[in-house]
Amino acid sequence: MSFFRKTIVAAAIATVFSIPAFAETTLNVHYPMPGFFKDVMDVISKKFMEENPDIKINFVSPSATYEEGIQTILRQAGTAEMPDITFIGLNRLRMIAERGVNLDMEPLIAKETDMESQGFSDNILRLAQVGNQQVGLAFATSNPIMYYNADLIRQAGDNPDQPPKTWDEVIALGAKIKALGNGNEGIDFRWQGDDWMFSALLFGAGGTMLSPDEKKVAFNGPEGVAAFNLVSRLVKDGGMPVLTKQAGEQAFVAGKVGFTFQTTGALRNTIKNVGSKFDLRTGPLPLLNPEKGRLPTGGNAVVILTKDTAKQAAAWKFAKFAAGPYGASVVVPGTGYVPNNELAAKSPEYLADFYKQNPLFQAGLNQMNLMIPWYAFPGSNGVKVTQTIVDNLSRVVEQTATPEEALNSAADEVQKLLPRR
Amino acid sequence: MKNVALFSMRNLRLGILSAGALLFLTPYIWMISTAAKSREEIFSSSLTLLPQHWALWENLAKAFSQVPMGQLLLNGLIVCALIFFFQVAIAIPCAYAMAKLRFRAAQTMMTLVMLGLLIPIHATALPIYVALNKVGMLNSYFALSAPFFISVFGIFLFLQFFRAMPDDLIAAARLDGMSELAIVNRVIVPNAWPAVTAFAIFSVVAHWNDLFWPLIVITGTERATPPLGLLFFRAAEAGDDYGALMAATLIITLPLVAAFLLAQRRFIEGITLTGLKG
Amino acid sequence: MREIATTHPLPDNRFVAKQAAIRAAKREEWVAWQLAAPAILLIVVLILLPTLAVLVFSLTNYELGYDDFQFVGLDNYIELFRDRTFLISLKNTAIYTAIVTPFSVFIGLGVALLIEGEKRGRTFFRTVYFLPVASLLVAMATVFQYLLHPTIGPVNAILSMIGIAGPNWLGSSSTVLFSLAIIGIWQSVGFNMVLFLAGLTAIPRELYAAAEVDGAKGSWERFRLVTWPMLGPTTLFVTTISVINAVKVFETVKTLTEGGPNKSSEVLLFTIYQEGFVFLRVGYASAMTVIFLAFLIVLMLVQYRVLDRRVHYT
Repeated sequence: MSFFRKTIVAAAIATVFSIPAFAETTLNVHYPMPGFFKDVMDVISKKFMEENPDIKINFVSPSATYEEGIQTILRQAGTAEMPDITFIGLNRLRMIAERGVNLDMEPLIAKETDMESQGFSDNILRLAQVGNQQVGLAFATSNPIMYYNADLIRQAGDNPDQPPKTWDEVIALGAKIKALGNGNEGIDFRWQGDDWMFSALLFGAGGTMLSPDEKKVAFNGPEGVAAFNLVSRLVKDGGMPVLTKQAGEQAFVAGKVGFTFQTTGALRNTIKNVGSKFDLRTGPLPLLNPEKGRLPTGGNAVVILTKDTAKQAAAWKFAKFAAGPYGASVVVPGTGYVPNNELAAKSPEYLADFYKQNPLFQAGLNQMNLMIPWYAFPGSNGVKVTQTIVDNLSRVVEQTATPEEALNSAADEVQKLLPRR
Repeated sequence: MKNVALFSMRNLRLGILSAGALLFLTPYIWMISTAAKSREEIFSSSLTLLPQHWALWENLAKAFSQVPMGQLLLNGLIVCALIFFFQVAIAIPCAYAMAKLRFRAAQTMMTLVMLGLLIPIHATALPIYVALNKVGMLNSYFALSAPFFISVFGIFLFLQFFRAMPDDLIAAARLDGMSELAIVNRVIVPNAWPAVTAFAIFSVVAHWNDLFWPLIVITGTERATPPLGLLFFRAAEAGDDYGALMAATLIITLPLVAAFLLAQRRFIEGITLTGLKG
Repeated sequence: MREIATTHPLPDNRFVAKQAAIRAAKREEWVAWQLAAPAILLIVVLILLPTLAVLVFSLTNYELGYDDFQFVGLDNYIELFRDRTFLISLKNTAIYTAIVTPFSVFIGLGVALLIEGEKRGRTFFRTVYFLPVASLLVAMATVFQYLLHPTIGPVNAILSMIGIAGPNWLGSSSTVLFSLAIIGIWQSVGFNMVLFLAGLTAIPRELYAAAEVDGAKGSWERFRLVTWPMLGPTTLFVTTISVINAVKVFETVKTLTEGGPNKSSEVLLFTIYQEGFVFLRVGYASAMTVIFLAFLIVLMLVQYRVLDRRVHYT
């Protein structure tokens, strides 16, 4: 596209949204986890500004985590400091929506005619919906996968080309690796921090967090029991040590752990940290219920905050661009996230070749059909609820409570934290 | 006999000190070692102090390219200087009034100072944030430094120092017909250098390293302080880039260590003279 | 004063002198107020008013992100004392302080005594022990996390060389508080050392000579009879600062453990931060802050009552 034509297109779009055609708009953009997204953001914004010379992207200082990000936004809500665009963890969108901080994208999407052909399928749009609101567009999405150390599996006498398909096989092999001695550990499972990996077990068993009307805890049903029991067995039978999140990651990349289960989003960094120390492989996450099992979607969505209508038009352009096929084609190789955009995943113009050349990345891609939204709890105690679940899981991991005890107290405590209405 | 015992006693002392020093230095040795390693080498099952491939320059370069390190260091310098200047300018006259003048509110002031010592910025952060926001002063050097313009610790330190200072000096100045303000400027301040040096170390160390407050009031890189800059290397979900993080830490820590090395004799002298001794 | 006295020789000299003295006192009082005014103003604006605001917040259900709030009386406080997390956090803070304060004070004293008695390498040792004070704790915490790693960390590797199975320092709920305390001690010893060094320098040499004449021959006797009593005020000050700093522990917890596992490293400031900035319940967090301040103030009062009697001021 020549510059001339690009300008015409830009002007045309600008007119549609009735902003002065050549007025320069500056968008302040905030995002979390710079160690992860900085390069990606730089690439995307550069390309965006090339295509939209009338819009300037200005990054405000990023937040270290999703939690810190949302705190920053809520502190700044309604003040002049509030950025125009932010990227928010998929499970925290509800918090933003319930406080009315964001712009509902529904009317904007209704005006578009080619969302589907741009790769925004209904399934993908749903990831960032709360109630009837389209809070954002999924930007980077991930699902949980299995990472394994093929060298250790070989040492334990198994074939790494046939990785375990069920949790029972994982536990058996984990025990064998632990038995190798020399400080080797069988399994590491990312249960710390938030409820995401617990969701992976629960959804993988076909369970849900709450009842359909969101009034009652439902994770203490048979699926939840299976999930808690599995965690206990990972420790007791599979040789899973009690590690902090960082310690677990470090032990795995040092080559001392057979399996680790965590987000595919960590893939790029894991590859870099492992280097050539051992033969790193990835595989699908085993499901407790292979038929009904689903997986939670991690990652974040781009959310528009600005109340200024002229800025909103520009912000919508950027949101579509970042979450669109070009954005995905930058995010996926840069991080390990799975494409949040179907066009990007399938089109050779974007990522098809990448996946052929980088088989480690395929584990996440192959699970895309299983992805359902990361459940966000209602009410103002959302973060506390996830904390309660993690605390009770840690009792199981430390073996200071039986899975039943821990599950029951988790259910009781969470029930109390749900809105009474 | 006695000489031998003394000799071994001295060596024992030196031995304990050295062992302790090694213990205290371990994290730094490890930090430098990590800063010199490539990402692949940092976490491995075999523990080595010396990297196989020196990646120190790479990591340092990464530290400088990921963040505007020069700007960060400059911001740190400006903020620390602003804070230090105002703290001293406000604390010295107050401490002088409390120590050397007939000041009936001195006792009440003392209570206020002790109370102030107990209230950390963590406790008052939110109201101050709200207020700064109301006047539209967030994201500025002012927002970074103003909440710390008053240092009750500083008042306390100078108070102790002035109490130990002989009255004759001040009396002589009064006899010369100097006003109290002139006395503060021309007699007290020049004689307070040791205390000022000691206080400088406390103040600069605290504010150079502070992360809590900058995290709250700063949202743009152009006003970020060095610790805030370190956040660029952190990625909670995916593990940190430790080599670059350690290299950046090294860059940020070095100026302070150098400053302490330069000032340390005066520093100890200063605290000695402040009467914290007893 | 001198001018008045010399240039106006009046009959009742004593009366005039008294009058002048009163006037001088008034003037001095006025000057004192002027000199202290900026400090008073800032203490009020930056410390007292915000504290008062926290007190007011603590009576409301204010949440970040919502515009309105209601006064809820003492509800937050009532909830507080039923809140398991808060009670655990209170307990952990007390334990942490009880470990860190004595160790950092006595190691600080020990190091100061050794350095004071040793002529060689003074500058070096002072710098080395002070280094942790001058370092960025957030980043050093990351180093400690690696050092204390249960499987690939050097500390446990060394322990296993001498046949000890190292603990799971930061990972297990039984050792995590202890591990954090080690880092806390490492960080604060240098600070205390410097204060003690200053205190030691100020003890007059003659006192030691006098003690020797009185029959105090050994170094322990000298320490017991001279050094320790003379250091009284320094010790009081160092202990006070150590307690305050220990109670304020936050950064290591935030970077290393996030209060876990299962709240076993939950400490007051971290809980307040969680409630206020993560759960966004400013009203509730403010109530905690008020309790936190009350806790500190009571602690200080008790400490001064106990120690002040034993301290020997010169």
